[in-house]
Amino acid sequence: MTEELTKKRGVSVPVQIAIWVFLAGLLALVGFGLNHAQNPMAQIGKSVPDFDLEYYPGYEYNGIEKMKLSDLRGKIVVINIWASWCKPCEQEAPDLEQAWQIYKDGGDVVILGVDYVDTPKGAEGYLTKFDITFPNAPDLKSNISSILNRQMGVPETYFIDRTGILRHVKVGPFASVGEIQSIISSME
Amino acid sequence: MFAEFGYGILVVSFIVAFYSLIAAVYGALRKSAAMVESSRRGMFLVFPLLSLSAAALVYLLITNHFEVAFVYEVTSRSMPTYLKVTAWWGGQAGSLLFWAWLLAAFTSAVTLRKWERDIEFLPWVIVVNAVTIIFFLGMVVFYENPFTRFWLVAGNVEPHMFAPLAATLFTPQDGNGLNPLLRHPGMVIHPPMLYLGFVSYVIPYAFAMAALITGRTDDRWIRLTRRWSLWAWLFLSFGLVLGGRWAYDVLGWGGYWGWDPVEIAAFMPWLTGTAFLHSVMIQEKRGLFKHWNMILVILTYALVVFGTFLTRSGVLSSVHAFANSPIGPFFMGYTALTLFVSIALLIWRWPLLHGETEMKSMLSREALFLLNNLLFMSVLIVSFWGVIFPLVSELFTGQKVTVGPPFYERATAPLFAGLMLLMGIAPLSAWGHSTIKTLGRAMWKSALAAAILTVVLFFTYTQNYIALIGFFLIALVLFVTFQEFGRAARARQRAQGENFFTALARLMGRNRRRYGGYIIHISMMLMAIGILGIEIFQKETQGSLAQGEQMELAGYTIEYRELASWPDEGKGVNFTRAVVDVYEDGIYLGELTPRIDYYFDSQQNMTIPGNRSTLKDDLYVLLVDWQPVSSMGATFKVFVNPLVNWLWIGSLLFLAGIIFTAWPDHDPAEEPLRAPQSTNQPSAAD
Repeated sequence: MTEELTKKRGVSVPVQIAIWVFLAGLLALVGFGLNHAQNPMAQIGKSVPDFDLEYYPGYEYNGIEKMKLSDLRGKIVVINIWASWCKPCEQEAPDLEQAWQIYKDGGDVVILGVDYVDTPKGAEGYLTKFDITFPNAPDLKSNISSILNRQMGVPETYFIDRTGILRHVKVGPFASVGEIQSIISSME
Repeated sequence: MFAEFGYGILVVSFIVAFYSLIAAVYGALRKSAAMVESSRRGMFLVFPLLSLSAAALVYLLITNHFEVAFVYEVTSRSMPTYLKVTAWWGGQAGSLLFWAWLLAAFTSAVTLRKWERDIEFLPWVIVVNAVTIIFFLGMVVFYENPFTRFWLVAGNVEPHMFAPLAATLFTPQDGNGLNPLLRHPGMVIHPPMLYLGFVSYVIPYAFAMAALITGRTDDRWIRLTRRWSLWAWLFLSFGLVLGGRWAYDVLGWGGYWGWDPVEIAAFMPWLTGTAFLHSVMIQEKRGLFKHWNMILVILTYALVVFGTFLTRSGVLSSVHAFANSPIGPFFMGYTALTLFVSIALLIWRWPLLHGETEMKSMLSREALFLLNNLLFMSVLIVSFWGVIFPLVSELFTGQKVTVGPPFYERATAPLFAGLMLLMGIAPLSAWGHSTIKTLGRAMWKSALAAAILTVVLFFTYTQNYIALIGFFLIALVLFVTFQEFGRAARARQRAQGENFFTALARLMGRNRRRYGGYIIHISMMLMAIGILGIEIFQKETQGSLAQGEQMELAGYTIEYRELASWPDEGKGVNFTRAVVDVYEDGIYLGELTPRIDYYFDSQQNMTIPGNRSTLKDDLYVLLVDWQPVSSMGATFKVFVNPLVNWLWIGSLLFLAGIIFTAWPDHDPAEEPLRAPQSTNQPSAAD
């Protein structure tokens, strides 16, 4: 009887293969997505994973409006994470700008502002208010702060040496332009 | 001290759960009742243990112990105590503990039931629950520890559980504060409800796996878990509805559902869960679909884990996403393991699961239920495709392309329409056999009434054909369902000599599942009215107004009266509140006060709409922006959302319907097996 036969029947081998292949494919796809989503994170003494940025309108460095971290090899890179709503940031903004005025002509040190969770309007107001001239860019999707492994709040400043290795992290505002200078000179 | 205590108890719970797992497997394989009993007691113990750990965490949260990284992340001094408690599930680490704690509660409850008749299931049910708990606790113990503290090591602040060498504890002055978006009362209970729904699906899955492993593949496991799956469905549905209401009240885009990947992640197990609720009835009544029910319960559990994984791994960008986290790969591994083991078991036991009869008629109730299941699966496939499409596109083009709401709306609308049509037909069909003739005789009156109503709507309300099809289907289902209530109650009235309402009440009480189901169908239709209203007839406009200026939309006039901005230091919020007067056709209706709340500690804005809600429509006004004091201008976004209130009314009825259905009166496990075929279906005899 056919009913008897169907009752005994299991899943045929080709169907089983198809099921496992489908499942493996699905997992591979999700794994691929996961691999892409897991941003590598920076650690002191380790090389900082590469990222790129597009500056705010009106900002550039060496005449270019975009940057890639790896293009700045050979220079000391200071990345300052700030936001227009952040009070302590206002405290250190003039010091950072002053430091930029000291270093910019040497071409050896780049100071880079990265604006964390902000409105374009707020950012524009902040940059104008403090006459900030060093290149500044928004941290879209908080991508940069997650790569840099931002621990606490804003401001935080990351010092990357000429070989692309993270040397120092400053949590909170700088007390003076001298503090910035002494950290940079310790990296020479 | 509390941090060490909480963490210590976590580790102990982890070990106890691990012991129970080993003891259960050993006891089952060696047929040692004593070992199984020992594992049962171990499993029971996990819940009180985790409760202690959770209590330690809650204590740290409400007493501002900001040296604990998790406390620092999710609370601040200015938060009221109840929010500090709910901050428990406001961040990754805490919510994983919360998940494990809920699951432990359910597992403890399961271990306490009477096991005599089902003792062979017990060890395997414990195994599945223990594996799930061990996985979640493992995440908490090893990767996302909520008790980690800040330490000052050589001038740097680092998070560690135990003091590194030469380190001092670092206590920040104040915490980050809970994301203001999460401070809504709806948000306080939305995540627990979703988690409860997710977690309670572990139980039916555990029984299904136990049935596969033991080879006891009759419908015992279904009867044992019927009520669990109903409660799971209740919690999941409630969680989804609350999320929708929260979005409507707080997110400030005039909608309730945005087809966000994480919304879909919670929606997918709901779809398979709903299909499961329907198809188990066929197995109970007709002994069919045994494979299918297994597949559905496996899918539901896998989707629960997958959904949790999606939310927490950062694999998809979403408003719900937790921060980038190292636990993604583990979640993925666990999802893979679950699928692998379940599918392997299913293939192994496939020959034992063949149906006891065959389907005879394409219009029988079981055939219509099968169609219903296929439609739910189609919605699932559309949703799943939409969720993983960004990954597919990234793989092949390098670009993450996200599909938007229009994709889902276009693809699912006909499927939902099909489901509605089935809701109109299936209650009238009979188990075993129905024909076009019997169905036609049962439904022509309702169909005619719905058609007449649609024609009336065509001339008086709308010419939009999608809306008209929608309204026709809604009316059809409502009329058919009411007709069913009326017919059955009248039959009982005649037979028992009761008055109509007594007859109706007794009838419903005697068959909660059927009539509860009908109540749920009615509530779905009310929700559909709201959804059609907002999806098809929503109107919006935006404009900047000076004081005293007016703006019009869909018969409403709003006039900007004043705006005030003041900080409330105690609450840590700066309120900016506009007052607008509302007129309809020149008649003054009252004022609305849309607000923007700015939270100092988390430096985030929250847009609270001013909403005037009636059965006809909602007038939903958002304050978008305002100019400095001198000009006192303000920008508003205005939505008119017709009929949307029916969505919430329907939701309430929906919850009432599930509670009515799931309310314990007698144990479904003790019901007689397979009901006789024809007596069960009054409409066939009508």
